[in-house]
Amino acid sequence: MSVALQSLLAQQGAMGVVANNIANSNTPGYSREVPVLQESPPTLMGNTMVGSGVNMSTVESVRDNILNLRIDQETSQQSSLGSYVNSMNQVQALFNETQGTGLQSYLSSFFNSFTSLSTDPTSSPLRQAALTAGENLAGAFSLTSQNLSTIQQGLDQSVVQTVQQVNQLTAQVANLNQQIKMISNSGESPGSLMDQRDEDLTNLSNLIDTAVVYSADGTASVTTTNGTLLVSGNQNDALTTQADSATGMHEILAQGTDITSSIAGGQLQGLIKARDSSIPSTQSSLDNLAAGLISAMNTQQNAGYNMNGGKGVDFFTPFTPTTAGSNAGAATTMTVALTDPSQIAASSDGTTGDNANATAMANLENQPIVSGQTPGAYYSNLINQVGNDVSNATSEQTAVGLVLQQLSNQQSSISGVSLDEEATNLVMYQRAYEASARVISVVDELVSTTIDMFTPS
Amino acid sequence: MGIRVNPNLYGIILSGLQTNTQLENQALQQVSSGQKLNSLSDDPAAASSLVNMRIESSSDAQYLQNISSLTGSLNVADSALSSVVEALTSAQSVGVEGANGTNNTSNRQALAQEVQGIQQEIMGLANTTYNGEYLFSGTATTTQPYVEDATSASGVTYKGNDSSNSVEISEGQAMPTSLPGSQLFSNPTTSVFQSLQDLYTALNSNGNISGATTEVQNALNYVSTQQTFYGNSVDRLNNAQTFLTQEQTQLTETEGNAVDVNMATAVTDLSQTVTTQQALLAAGGKISQLNLFDYLPSS
Repeated sequence: MSVALQSLLAQQGAMGVVANNIANSNTPGYSREVPVLQESPPTLMGNTMVGSGVNMSTVESVRDNILNLRIDQETSQQSSLGSYVNSMNQVQALFNETQGTGLQSYLSSFFNSFTSLSTDPTSSPLRQAALTAGENLAGAFSLTSQNLSTIQQGLDQSVVQTVQQVNQLTAQVANLNQQIKMISNSGESPGSLMDQRDEDLTNLSNLIDTAVVYSADGTASVTTTNGTLLVSGNQNDALTTQADSATGMHEILAQGTDITSSIAGGQLQGLIKARDSSIPSTQSSLDNLAAGLISAMNTQQNAGYNMNGGKGVDFFTPFTPTTAGSNAGAATTMTVALTDPSQIAASSDGTTGDNANATAMANLENQPIVSGQTPGAYYSNLINQVGNDVSNATSEQTAVGLVLQQLSNQQSSISGVSLDEEATNLVMYQRAYEASARVISVVDELVSTTIDMFTPS
Repeated sequence: MGIRVNPNLYGIILSGLQTNTQLENQALQQVSSGQKLNSLSDDPAAASSLVNMRIESSSDAQYLQNISSLTGSLNVADSALSSVVEALTSAQSVGVEGANGTNNTSNRQALAQEVQGIQQEIMGLANTTYNGEYLFSGTATTTQPYVEDATSASGVTYKGNDSSNSVEISEGQAMPTSLPGSQLFSNPTTSVFQSLQDLYTALNSNGNISGATTEVQNALNYVSTQQTFYGNSVDRLNNAQTFLTQEQTQLTETEGNAVDVNMATAVTDLSQTVTTQQALLAAGGKISQLNLFDYLPSS
């Protein structure tokens, strides 16, 4: 009878596991569980060993840790590319050349206004047009550069917030480690806690590159792929952020060491790549272009004579580098220095009607005045660079997405809940339960028959 | 036991739908904007060459504008010079008439008056303006080139300079826009104003009238030769205009190839994604509607 009772309990437990699987069939991150039924140790009856029934020893969660690690790595890669593409999409929107409303139109209008001035160098409307074109050009440079900085600052804030999220997750993982260890020690299976931890680890790998090592005691220690410790046992090492005094951008510190540039995956990497590499490089190209234009225009202006025969003065406010050899800030601060159209030095010899200097200024468009290139060629390279940054990351993103889809499919085929399978199991355990119950009732009948034999009727 | 397969088929359908929706968006954007190049990353190389082409076509448009404003001033200058040639021709006839021995003093003085009128007419023509600027004063376009001057042997003084402006009419091709009066109306051996002054003096004083008439004849020939500059320039402008217009047409076409979408292809792409979307949705509707539980007795 106790054999049957044990069986009832075991089948009931198994049905409980099935029920839990069915209940969680749509829970993200849930790994199906299987009841582990075990023969009870046999007892010796006379000379024969007789089985003593069944036990549900434990519940096993079906998971492939190696596969999970691969998924986390690819997830990390995909989030990195995703956050990079999102950031750089904002940047490429600033250079709206496909609609013909980018800097190119301002550059062309500017030089064209001087070509136009050369046909009639004393015309006030044409002089005014050249001055206005200069102001528009300077304004466009300044605005584009400021918008770049705004995007960069937005990314910096995202970096700080992401680090906070990383710390929250690592704290949770450390906490779960502790609970898992306790439950494991007590001989139970911490399946649901492990699922929770898997979910946290996947979320963590969304944010930063992770390497996870599972210990025998069930805890998971987490480092970045470059070896910075994030979680060890029930301890998490929180990352900190600190603004760099020179750039104002936040560095990421682990135990006081700057690890910003060694982060190799997750949203953080994408944000940092856009913030510290792509945007500064675009910004510096823009600065070089602005500085080249300012300097060449001013030189040419100073070589000529204004409408009143006076020596020409700077067209744009001259750019003074804050750091020698760097043009940083040239685009943001670009403004026109001239206040009156008559100050434009169209004449090369002081004769009012002479146009040679206006022609020379218009011809700067075809001169190698920006790092050995014409302004147009330099700008078109910049456009190519920005477009390539996004398009390369986008195609990589697609490739990683396909890999990730494959891996998820594989993971689901191992850990996903199949209702057909659960139904089969349910029927199986139900039948076993029914049979065990029948055994009890048969034994009961036997016993009552036996008892009845002695009851006076 | 068979190989366990992914029981969650919706996940596969979902990612298929997502990929397809992305393609559909792209196709829809192309059809609605008429452009295949909607952001730089769609085709960075095309975006970059688009910038170069736009710079070039924008310069071309400016050169064309230069050409049309130059054509105006060149035509005005050309017709002014034609009038000068005409005036000199009549001065020459006056000279021939004056050289005729039958003239008396009062006849000659009347002819001298006529020459003086011609002198003034030519001076007016030499001071022709276009858009408020003097056409024949070199680059000193705000200075009246010829003023009367009794102390000068020719009766006038040239106040302009000997330079001339050049304007680019296509990339790297500059063209002088005018000739200074000092070159147009005189050279070391011939001078329009000197010859007229000499004829005037000769008629008044019954001097060497035929000699002065020859001078006028030489001046006439000289100005006619100089005038060809303007005719040639207008021809040059016309040629440049033809070239630039052609280049612009070509650039517009190339720009279009880089940017504009082939509508037939885009619409086909779009309808293809729609078909795929429908197929995926239909497949999604068909899968997993049943499982084993549906067949178990619900006692």
